[in-house]
Amino acid sequence: MCEPVLQLKNVTLRRGSFSLEGIDLALAKGEILALLGRTGAGKTLLLETAAGFCPPSCGQVLFYGREVCSIPLHRRNIGYLYQEYSLFPHLTAAQNIGYGLRMRRMPREEIRQQVEQLAGRFGLERVLNQYPGTLSGGEQQRVALARALALRPALLLLDEPFAALDPVTKRQLYGLLRQVREEFGCAVLFVTHDFAEAQGLADRAGVLAGGRLCGVAPAAGLYSAAWPAPAREFLGLVEQQKGESAHDANRAV
Amino acid sequence: MNSGRSVFRLLCGLAALAALALIGSNVAVILVRGAKSLPEALTQPETLFALVTSLKTASISTVLCFVLAVPTAYLLTRTEFPGRAAVEMLLELTLSLPYIVLGVSLLILFSSPAGKALKEAGLPVVFSQNGIVLAQLTVNLPFAVQLASTAFRRADRKLEYVAGLLGAGEARRFFTILLPLCRHSLAGALVLVWSRALGEFGATLMLVGVTRMKTETLPANIYLNVSANDLDGALASAFLLLVISGASLAAASRFTRVDKRWGRYV
Repeated sequence: MCEPVLQLKNVTLRRGSFSLEGIDLALAKGEILALLGRTGAGKTLLLETAAGFCPPSCGQVLFYGREVCSIPLHRRNIGYLYQEYSLFPHLTAAQNIGYGLRMRRMPREEIRQQVEQLAGRFGLERVLNQYPGTLSGGEQQRVALARALALRPALLLLDEPFAALDPVTKRQLYGLLRQVREEFGCAVLFVTHDFAEAQGLADRAGVLAGGRLCGVAPAAGLYSAAWPAPAREFLGLVEQQKGESAHDANRAV
Repeated sequence: MNSGRSVFRLLCGLAALAALALIGSNVAVILVRGAKSLPEALTQPETLFALVTSLKTASISTVLCFVLAVPTAYLLTRTEFPGRAAVEMLLELTLSLPYIVLGVSLLILFSSPAGKALKEAGLPVVFSQNGIVLAQLTVNLPFAVQLASTAFRRADRKLEYVAGLLGAGEARRFFTILLPLCRHSLAGALVLVWSRALGEFGATLMLVGVTRMKTETLPANIYLNVSANDLDGALASAFLLLVISGASLAAASRFTRVDKRWGRYV
């Protein structure tokens, strides 16, 4: 079996009064994994830990078998997309997309070509010279995604990337993300509240509750997996089960 | 309820009026009497010398101040190191010290054998214009560090993380992300520091004294003119300082306005 792209081994991390406890997770090359959980469950913190922004107090975060925090930030080959996109406000859309290529000291002409190619794929040709503040939410999202993908990262970490988008834009971006996975073979770990999104886009889904990972299951069988109580409650399976039990009891009577 | 609010508003209004009268009357005196005396004062070589010395020393000290303050602020806001709290406390302490105290300590430091060695090496500090620059620098440095730190703290750290993952090393993150993001705040801070340097007197007085046509800045010129009972000359210099300060405040507020091209993002 090939080495996982990302592996979290018994990761524990405290931030203020909140803590992530004993997280075990592995992500294979080309795999899309959705992390589900309530607000405050620790999804963003887990993503930041996976990127190596927050060193764990206990356990290991391995990127291709190496401690992620031991790799200098600029050599990690990880793409990160914040929920609010975090575009550089002082750079145009084209400069944002080409930023990573510029940091790699790629020739100017080559950067221009690659930016245009990415802009074409993400439908951003008309906004390349605009600043992020003048773009719509969907455009900002696509610029951020194009920027993250320009360097063809081995791992893409997405923090609720589709939360603020309309259904049409969402569907377009789901397709784009699948295309990107096929083409670049990058592993994707994304955080979402949306069960349908997790089922439609991910290969596997995990549920995070109170800083603990309740388990990971195939996304297609999200509702039929054997989850522990906190995950069942979050997924609404407890009410469903109660309803079914009541229905069965009525039928028996 | 309404009458209670009216009384409260009335009291606030009276306090504001008193504050305005106190500040306004000072400015009015300088503007009215200073403007009248200015044409004659500008023909005096002492006034022109003081003006040129003030502008020159304030500009040099401000540049030096930012060369030291910006990296210091970066370290204070972006790194963890033992004793950081102590460094921050030291900076705050010097910020609240009377400038005359800083001047005394500078005088002692530069009257020492090391200071004398500097003088022999062709870099005199005590009773020279280099001392004016040093006094302004010492007084303004904690202030500049604080302004730059505030600007850096307000900048979104996530942007630097993203830039890092996009391949930017620490120095490139600083120059391509943090500095451009803070450029308006830093430019505003630069103008404020320059304006403060222009008006610095306490530490300068202690370190270089006030000697006509030698260590005479605009505040020193005011002091010397008042001592010689030349109130008109003093008010003319005060008028010059007021105009320069007003212009720099206007420039600072213009610099701190965000770039409109960036749109609603900032």
